[in-house]
Amino acid sequence: MKKNKDSVIDYLCSVKLAIFLLIVLSVTSVFGTLIPQGEPLNFYQERFNPTFFNLIKLFRLYDAYNSWWFLTILNLFSVNLICCTLKRLPLTIKLLKKNILDTDAEKISRISMKKTIDITNNNDYSSKIKGILGNTKSKKLDDGSEIITSERGKINYLGVYILHSSILIIFLGGILGAILGFKGNLMLLEGEKSSRIINPRTSEEIPLGFEVRCDKFAVEFYDDGRMPKEFRSDLAIIDNNLEVLKTQIIVNKPLTYKGITFYQASYQSVPEISIEIEKKNNKKETLKLSAFDTINIPETSLSLGILQFLPDVHGVPAARIWISDGKNFTDAQWVIKGKSKVFGIGTEQEFKIYLSEVTEKFMTGLQVKKDPGVWIVWLGCAGLIFGFIVVFWIPHRRLWVLIKDNKILIAGQTNKNQFQFERDFDMICKKIEETAKV
Amino acid sequence: MDINSSLLLSLTTFVYLGAAFFYLLVWVFRLEKLGIAATLTATLGLFLQTTGIILRWIESYKIGIGHAPLSNLYESLVFFSWITILVYLFIEYRLKNRVIGAFSTPFASLAMAYASFSPNVEDTIKPLIPALKSNWLIAHVVTCFIGYASFAVACGVGIMYLLKKNESFKSSYLINSFPEIKALEDLNYQTIIFGFLWLSIGIITGAIWANEAWGTYWSWDPKETWSLITWFIYATALHVRFAKGWGGSKIAYFSIIGFFSVLFTYFGVNFLLSGLHSYGAK
Ligand code: HEM
Repeated sequence: MKKNKDSVIDYLCSVKLAIFLLIVLSVTSVFGTLIPQGEPLNFYQERFNPTFFNLIKLFRLYDAYNSWWFLTILNLFSVNLICCTLKRLPLTIKLLKKNILDTDAEKISRISMKKTIDITNNNDYSSKIKGILGNTKSKKLDDGSEIITSERGKINYLGVYILHSSILIIFLGGILGAILGFKGNLMLLEGEKSSRIINPRTSEEIPLGFEVRCDKFAVEFYDDGRMPKEFRSDLAIIDNNLEVLKTQIIVNKPLTYKGITFYQASYQSVPEISIEIEKKNNKKETLKLSAFDTINIPETSLSLGILQFLPDVHGVPAARIWISDGKNFTDAQWVIKGKSKVFGIGTEQEFKIYLSEVTEKFMTGLQVKKDPGVWIVWLGCAGLIFGFIVVFWIPHRRLWVLIKDNKILIAGQTNKNQFQFERDFDMICKKIEETAKV
Repeated sequence: MDINSSLLLSLTTFVYLGAAFFYLLVWVFRLEKLGIAATLTATLGLFLQTTGIILRWIESYKIGIGHAPLSNLYESLVFFSWITILVYLFIEYRLKNRVIGAFSTPFASLAMAYASFSPNVEDTIKPLIPALKSNWLIAHVVTCFIGYASFAVACGVGIMYLLKKNESFKSSYLINSFPEIKALEDLNYQTIIFGFLWLSIGIITGAIWANEAWGTYWSWDPKETWSLITWFIYATALHVRFAKGWGGSKIAYFSIIGFFSVLFTYFGVNFLLSGLHSYGAK
């Protein structure tokens, strides 16, 4: 039984499991790229046959990357990584502590990459070799011989740890962001402000803790007049009734306030309709409102609303308008720009209504996000790259030089990029050989 | 005739095809003397192409929609072939062996030929939608493509390794001129490592860009996911050495599978999975 348990733990620590999990992740990540993600269930029901639809439902393939099985694989992957790291750490510490001068002639001669040079004169080889190698340590042996060592890149052993823990740090950042952060949309008309946003998934409102106002929105087009060149919103932040910040955002240049970031995401143009009302006493009144809006008619208890709006009916705009006294509604009538219609409710109140002007008003579409984990993710990314460079481009290289009798024995070892090291080793041997000839 | 970028880049296609042809001749017929011609042709192509890319950049500013020439499929193919030739010429210089050229310059010339002649690839200079206007995007494309080009070379070298390793080709005249099996294994591994580093940086810069543009560093978009799948495949290759008895052949297979994944990330996602989800503001 004990043995069984050990072998499970061994497997959890193994690179074999890591390879298996990496392959499993490669394969399972494909599903979500083939099946559209995040659509309502009936979308899949219409498109796929019933068996396949049931599979999609069972394995949550409509939200594959948040499904229980995918998260299980990721968890197993993390556990594997942690176990493997913990298991190897003591070994690495031992390697780091190792002093390469703790050796003898016998051990040096057993290293496979080595070269022997005959000495013919009585030069002070020791100091010359130290000069060539740099960063050396040495010791004299009882028999009069000397061992000189040179070592570089011990940090290499830590590289893999930096790299692997960075992967876990990225996961951590992602999890923190998911727990402590939020994301939502906000549509603001020019001049409008809001202190809450809508979560698009749940339609819940999320309070911001301050207000944001859109003062102006502008969209600029390329010369072809169709493709947008830039979207700009002038935003103001109002905190505790104080206007604390005014700035312009464009796509790729968001605004961050108190950890909450506002991105320029989209826009909508909303027609603003000017309506002229002529009362019985010839008194004229102009009202401005947007489509689908309702407004009170001044000096009356009536309200007026626009049910429908068409920007172009034979070249002119038209709106379908109704009037209500709170209980009764008039029929909604189409009013075309330039012509009037008479609306009546009861007998006393009759109005002539004109549609005098239609202007365009913009509504800026903001993506709003709070993600306190993002810096942890970037830290992990930096660590990943740094660790990777350490692992592969700062190899641990060791050289031993044994000066004994009338021979110099040079031996070298590296843990990475043997090929390059062999070349460098030859270079060093040549240099030492030259000093021997002088 | 006016010299413009399209002319230079079309010319590059033919020069690269010529270089690939020379490299193949050098390999197949052992025409060592042609080796210099092959290298010179490839270098000439690189020079023409570099000029072409710079000119295209300048031209985009002249028509008032200035941006780095890295914004669409055509431009990325041109950049891919440019960087592949650059990586290859560097390896030729280091290893002093031209046989690898027969396995990597064809990738570059095919990419150029596809960019220049396929009706699927639009080669006019187009303005950028606001979401694509970001320096992070340039960093993203450049780093990804350095990775892709290294993987292309790794794939070529992997194929060479497997051919050289195969017993039945032991005495083959064509395979004999390959570099030593050890050197191929090492080069295969080194190019994977190099590519992996750049792909990692590419994925990260892409995430930074996405975070800047719409506040999500990772959204499991098909293109993103496929680049991650590619990353997983090469990560597997890096670990394969530590599992017992899995030597150079396994890594060579991974470099070939990995490159298919690169190709799918690059083309497949655009042509086969398009319409599911695409970047850019509405
Ligand atoms: C996608 C995630 C991963 C990446 C990018 C990654 C990357 C790397 C790299 C670049 C190396 C160095 C290879 C070399 O020295 O030749 C390495 C080594 C290693 N990895 Fe991973 N790794 C990942 C996941 C894992 C996991 C889940 C494990 C779990 C056991 C693991 C275990 C190891 C081990 C044991 C080594 C050898 C360390 C040594 O040199 O002593 N890796 N990894």
